[in-house]
Amino acid sequence: MMLLLRNVSKMQRIFEHARKSNRKNKNAILSISDISKSFGGVKAVNKCSFEVKENTITSLIGPNGAGKTTVFNIISGLAKPDAGAIRLEKKNIAGMPSYRIAQSGISRTFQLTKVFRNLSVRDNMLIAKKTNDEEIKKVLKGVYFEKSLDTIASELSYGQQRLLEIARALLMPHKLLMLDEPTAGVNPRIRQELRAILKNLRKEGKTILLIEHDMEFVMDISDRVIVLNEGRVLREGRPKDIVKDKRVLEAYLGK
Amino acid sequence: MPLLDILPQLIVNGLIAGSIYALAASGFSLIYYVVKFQYFSHGAIMSIGAYLFFTFMNLMGLNYILAGILTVIGCVIATLLSNWLLYLPLRKRKATPAIILIASIVLLIFSSSLMLAFFGSSTKAISLAKHNKTFDFGIFTITLVQTAIIVSALILFLFLWIILKKTKLGKSMRALADNKDVAQVVGINPEKIYNYTFIIAAVLGAFGGILLGLEQNLYPRMGVPIIIKGFISSVVGGLGSVPGSIIGGLFIGLAENVGVLYLPTGYKDVISFSVLLLFLLFRPQGILGVKMRNV
Amino acid sequence: MYEYLIAVFAYIFIYIILVVSLNLAFGFTGLVNLGHMAFFGVGAYASALLTLHGIPWYIALPASGLIAGSFGAVIAAITVRLKGDYFQIVALGLAFIAIAVSRNWISLTRGALGLPGIPDIIKNNFYYMLFLFAVALLSVVFLYWLTNSETGKIFQAIRDDETAAAVLGKNTYLYKVLSITISTFFAGIAGSLFAHYISFIDPTIFDLEFFVIILAMLIVGGLASISGSILGVTVISLLLSAISFVFTNISPELIGAMRQMLLMLILLLILIYRPRGMFGKVDV
Repeated sequence: MMLLLRNVSKMQRIFEHARKSNRKNKNAILSISDISKSFGGVKAVNKCSFEVKENTITSLIGPNGAGKTTVFNIISGLAKPDAGAIRLEKKNIAGMPSYRIAQSGISRTFQLTKVFRNLSVRDNMLIAKKTNDEEIKKVLKGVYFEKSLDTIASELSYGQQRLLEIARALLMPHKLLMLDEPTAGVNPRIRQELRAILKNLRKEGKTILLIEHDMEFVMDISDRVIVLNEGRVLREGRPKDIVKDKRVLEAYLGK
Repeated sequence: MPLLDILPQLIVNGLIAGSIYALAASGFSLIYYVVKFQYFSHGAIMSIGAYLFFTFMNLMGLNYILAGILTVIGCVIATLLSNWLLYLPLRKRKATPAIILIASIVLLIFSSSLMLAFFGSSTKAISLAKHNKTFDFGIFTITLVQTAIIVSALILFLFLWIILKKTKLGKSMRALADNKDVAQVVGINPEKIYNYTFIIAAVLGAFGGILLGLEQNLYPRMGVPIIIKGFISSVVGGLGSVPGSIIGGLFIGLAENVGVLYLPTGYKDVISFSVLLLFLLFRPQGILGVKMRNV
Repeated sequence: MYEYLIAVFAYIFIYIILVVSLNLAFGFTGLVNLGHMAFFGVGAYASALLTLHGIPWYIALPASGLIAGSFGAVIAAITVRLKGDYFQIVALGLAFIAIAVSRNWISLTRGALGLPGIPDIIKNNFYYMLFLFAVALLSVVFLYWLTNSETGKIFQAIRDDETAAAVLGKNTYLYKVLSITISTFFAGIAGSLFAHYISFIDPTIFDLEFFVIILAMLIVGGLASISGSILGVTVISLLLSAISFVFTNISPELIGAMRQMLLMLILLLILIYRPRGMFGKVDV
């Protein structure tokens, strides 16, 4: 009897392992169903549904005004959805205040970088998590951030601020990392670094939801791509399927 | 019904006070609407207006039309100086609206000590006695000066409405108020429009000051209580809404005076502040204002 | 001269508590509390009324802090949730409402006549000044510790970017209410100490003229710097006292006007040309 039980649990572990290594059968960390949001009569997001699976990079693409950032804001609680449900694992987080969503495990960055400009690099990081200098330095090193911990954030270049913001989001304990156009508005050198960072994060098996405009890069790094247009999911699939899709091209180029 | 007998008189008194409050509120609100900060130094301009009119009329013996014109010119100059020397540099260095508000309060206090230094602390009165007479309508009485207060305030509000709604300048002001960046893209020069806006506010302030000086005595810190009433009226009417601020001013004037039916006269202030408190708590967007969104 | 110096320093210690507490809300948390003087006044009136009704000062002093702090907590709880200038507007409106209440609730405050005969905490002025020094020191040490603590850093993060603080899991609403509560508690304490020092208070305690002096001390010293506030209070207090000494042959009325003009001019110049004041950590 005992032997049998042990074997069952062993089998379960093997099964679990197999599931993790198989990219197709992963658990959904985040699942969004039918969320809508209008601003003054304009539907920014219209019955949008998609999933983000564990240990994958999912990219949201779409033309300007497609509602990508609004979707991010709804997930992170900065905008309240008019309708729909958002589940982080089993928990419905739709309509929760942003700090509770963050505490539940969603970490994010912004298109226009938000650092605490009058605080030092160290204090910026400490807001995300109470920890020691070693861990802070480790995370900062992981994003190729090279300035001293005592530098005041406003004295950093915009690119360095972007790296700090990503490091801060990484330091906060999270299940899902959401990056809103990390490569926008930074110089080519930082852009290269950001690509390397994302590749490393992918190797580490992080679960990431990404908004990004650089198609070549998106297709290279993503496990799944979701195309938004006029607040709806236009198409969803593997990168190689999306590149070939006619409707996606139309949405980008205009009909 | 002795209470109802005095009601018409109270309403007339309320309209007189309300017209002056509305002049304070409309200047405050116009700047808040276009230039986006709380313009407390409008009270300074009103006290300067009152003291200048007093100087030209009573000390220099000019006739009231000439005195009035010179007062308006004086207030426009003072207002433009405050913009060029204080508010423009602050805007240039991108000071927050809170800091510009503080600067405007500081300027208000500065001007009251300036008045104190020039005119002393004793109260002054503008004497228009030879021009004044009282009309008795049976149910209420009103003096010629008081009639002039209401009429000139109404004319000013009409002008303000025409400028805002019917002229190219008004269109530019509304565009700037709506979105400064977009306004600049379509070729509006913000600083130029701000100058015109300050000039209009100065005219409102000059007349507000003259009318206030006709209704009450002059004293150095008179600009402080009147702009507090202007602020209350603007909040009640809806911050950022110029018509709202005028309605708010008349509303506060009427509430203070009609409220005397129920409360001792000493409680005038309590009425306006209670109205302010009620609005702040239950209708922060005011009568006509835009609703403030939750975080 | 000796008595005069004692008075100058007594005021300096009271103002240090007041200005440092304002700095907590304004400089460290970014909450422009233009109604700070209302809480100072509430503390002064609370302490005066309590002691005039026979309650000993050692209860009245903390009680006035708690009363001012509870008012602060309630006002903040209602207002800081809303965006934009709303908090500023309410705070300023509140200061005006405080004037009206103190002037018109005659049965409680005696209106414009004010409340005379507020009992001393310590009769001897020199020893009272030392007592004020001790309270100021305690307050400053506490606020210094607070602003450098984890909570203090979160206050500053909220000032710099509230949204970013929220998506890092901080309940920004609660922190803002906390900051205002602590800030107004100390304003109330300062008010109580003030009332017991001058032994007479009236509604002018709420005047804008008084508030701008406090603001000048804060901004000259610099936002988000406690040592700046201490220096700002000291420099401005000494400057204002010095003016009274230099011009002895001018009428006190004119001296008052000149002092005020000079101070306002300094404040305006700082706002325009040196927004960080002497030791400020952030621009205003």
